[in-house]
Amino acid sequence: MTSRENYLAIARRQGYEYMPVHFNMCPSLQERFEQYRKEHDLFIPEGPSHVGALPMICAAPEEFEKFYEDNPIKAGGTIDKWGVGHEPGSKAAFHMTYMRHPMENFDSLEQIQSYPFPVFTPEGADRQKAQVEAYHAQGKAVQGGLNCSLWEQAWYLRGMENLFCDMMSEDPMAEELLDRVTDVAVAQMESLARAGVDSVYFGDDIGMQHTIMMSEELYGEWLKPRLKRLIDAGKAIKPDLIVIYHSCGHVNELIPQLMEAGIDVLNPVQPECMEFKQIHAEYGDVLSFHGTIGTQSTMPFGTPEDVREMVFKNLDIAGKKGGLFVAPTHLLEPDVPVENVVAYIKACAEYTSR
Amino acid sequence: MIDFVEMSKMVETGKVKVVKELVSKALEEGASASDILNKGLLPGMNAVGEKFKNNEVYIPEVLISARALNTGVNLLKPLLAAGDVEKPGTAVIGTVHGDLHDIGKNLVKMMLESKGIEVIDLGVDVTADQFISTAKEKGAQIVCCSTLLTTTMPEMENVVKEAQAQGMREDLFIMIGGAPTSDEFCKKIGADCYTQDAASAADAALAWLKEKNA
Repeated sequence: MTSRENYLAIARRQGYEYMPVHFNMCPSLQERFEQYRKEHDLFIPEGPSHVGALPMICAAPEEFEKFYEDNPIKAGGTIDKWGVGHEPGSKAAFHMTYMRHPMENFDSLEQIQSYPFPVFTPEGADRQKAQVEAYHAQGKAVQGGLNCSLWEQAWYLRGMENLFCDMMSEDPMAEELLDRVTDVAVAQMESLARAGVDSVYFGDDIGMQHTIMMSEELYGEWLKPRLKRLIDAGKAIKPDLIVIYHSCGHVNELIPQLMEAGIDVLNPVQPECMEFKQIHAEYGDVLSFHGTIGTQSTMPFGTPEDVREMVFKNLDIAGKKGGLFVAPTHLLEPDVPVENVVAYIKACAEYTSR
Repeated sequence: MIDFVEMSKMVETGKVKVVKELVSKALEEGASASDILNKGLLPGMNAVGEKFKNNEVYIPEVLISARALNTGVNLLKPLLAAGDVEKPGTAVIGTVHGDLHDIGKNLVKMMLESKGIEVIDLGVDVTADQFISTAKEKGAQIVCCSTLLTTTMPEMENVVKEAQAQGMREDLFIMIGGAPTSDEFCKKIGADCYTQDAASAADAALAWLKEKNA
C-alpha cells in the first residue's frame, strides 16, 4: 500500500498496513521535540500531506478598526482577515489570545449586510491543484484545510452570547451572518474538491465538557442545514471526498445529525467527554474516527506507558479494518512531556508491526 | 393584581420586551423591588438553571433568560442601589492567570447573579493576588476560579495559597470549575468546592452563604 492507499483504507474501514501519526504542538513543545529528534532516532509513520486554503482577499486591518472604536484592541493585539481582534494575555498565557468580536454591538441587519467579509480569490486554484497532484504522484494522501468554520466563525464575529440570543429570537441577523460565513466556506470547499484532495478537515465546537452546547432542535434548525450545504458542495464535485469533522467536547446526541449532513470521520472524541468504546459500538460500522487520546488527561498527566496503552486499546476497539486515526485530541500544550509525544509516535509505529 | 408567575414564565422563556413591560407595570402598581426580584424575576431564572443542570435546556436558553432577567433588574437598579433588597452575599469571579477563556466563567456569573448574589467579575488572566485582594477590599465571601486549560490548573492552588498568605483563608469559600477540573483536584489543592456545571455552582454558593448567614 502507498501511504495514500493506507490512509484511504483507514478512513473507509477497509483494513490497513500501518497507523500514521497526526499531532500538533504548541511552539514551546515543538522546540523540545525538535531537540529530542536531534539527539535520538525516531521513525515517524507518515500522515497525510496538507494543502491549505486559497488565499483570501480581505479588507485591510485599518478598515476593521472602526468596529472597535468604543473599546479599542489592546496594544500588541492584531485584527485577522475576518476583522476578529486577538489580544495578547500575560506571559503565562503563552501563545493564546483573547478574542474580540467586531459585530458585538451590531443591532441591525444592514450592518451585517455591509460588513467587509473576506472573499476567496480563485487565482490560487491552479497552484492548489498542482500541489495535490504532486503529492499524489508520490503516493501521498492529501488532506485539505478549510481554514473556516461555520458556527465558530460566526460566533467569533458576533460573540457567542449575542449569536445564541439572535438564533433563539429568530433574528434575521443570525441568518444573514451564518449564510455569509457559509458562502465563504463553500467557495473554499469547492476549490479543495476541484483540486482533488482526498479529505477535508474542518469543524465547529458544538460540545461542552459533559453535554452538547445547544439543543438538538436548535442545532437542526440553524447549523445542520448549513453544514449539509457545505459538505454537499464538496461531494458534488468529488463524491468520494472524505469529510473529517471536528468538535471538541461531548457531542453524542448530535452525531446522527452530523452524519445526515454527510460527515465521514469524527474528531476528536475526547475521552474525558465521550466514551470511545460506546460511540464506536454505536456508529463504528458507518462512521470513522480521529483522535481519542486525551489532551486533558493522558497526554499531559499520564506516563509514556499510559499513552502506549491508550493507543493500543483504542486501535484494538477499532479493529483490523481501521476506522480510527489514533491521535491526541487537541494541540499539545506546554505541559505535555516530550516523552509522551514520543510514546504516542512509537505506539503508532509499533501497533501493526508487533 | 401583579402576576408574578407570569413574570417568571416570561423570564424563563426569555421574552425581553414582555419582562420589561411587566416590571414597569408592577412598579407603577406599587410593588416593591424586592418582591419583583424575588417573586417574579429570580424564580424564572432559577427554573432555567434547574433545567440546565438536568440537561433539559442548554446555553442558549440560559442566555436569553439571563438577558430577560437583566432587562428587569436594570429597571429595578435605582431601587436596589437604595438598599431596598438584601443580597445574600458577594462573589469575586475570574478565569485564572494564563488562561484567556471566558465562556464558562460568564455562565457561572450569570447563574450566581440569578441567585441574587453580587458578582465582581475580574475577567480573564486573573492573578491569585487580584482574586484575594479584591475579595478583601470588597468584602466578598466567595471566590470563583475558572480554567479551561490543563496548563493553568496549578494557578488554582496559587489562589488557595494566596488566601492563606493574606490571612483570608478562613473567611473565603473558594470554588473552582472548568473542563479539566474535578472534585478530586479540588480536594488535592485545598479549595472548598468543585461543581460540574454553572447552575450547580450557583446552588452551592447560595447554600454556603445561607449556612454562613444562618
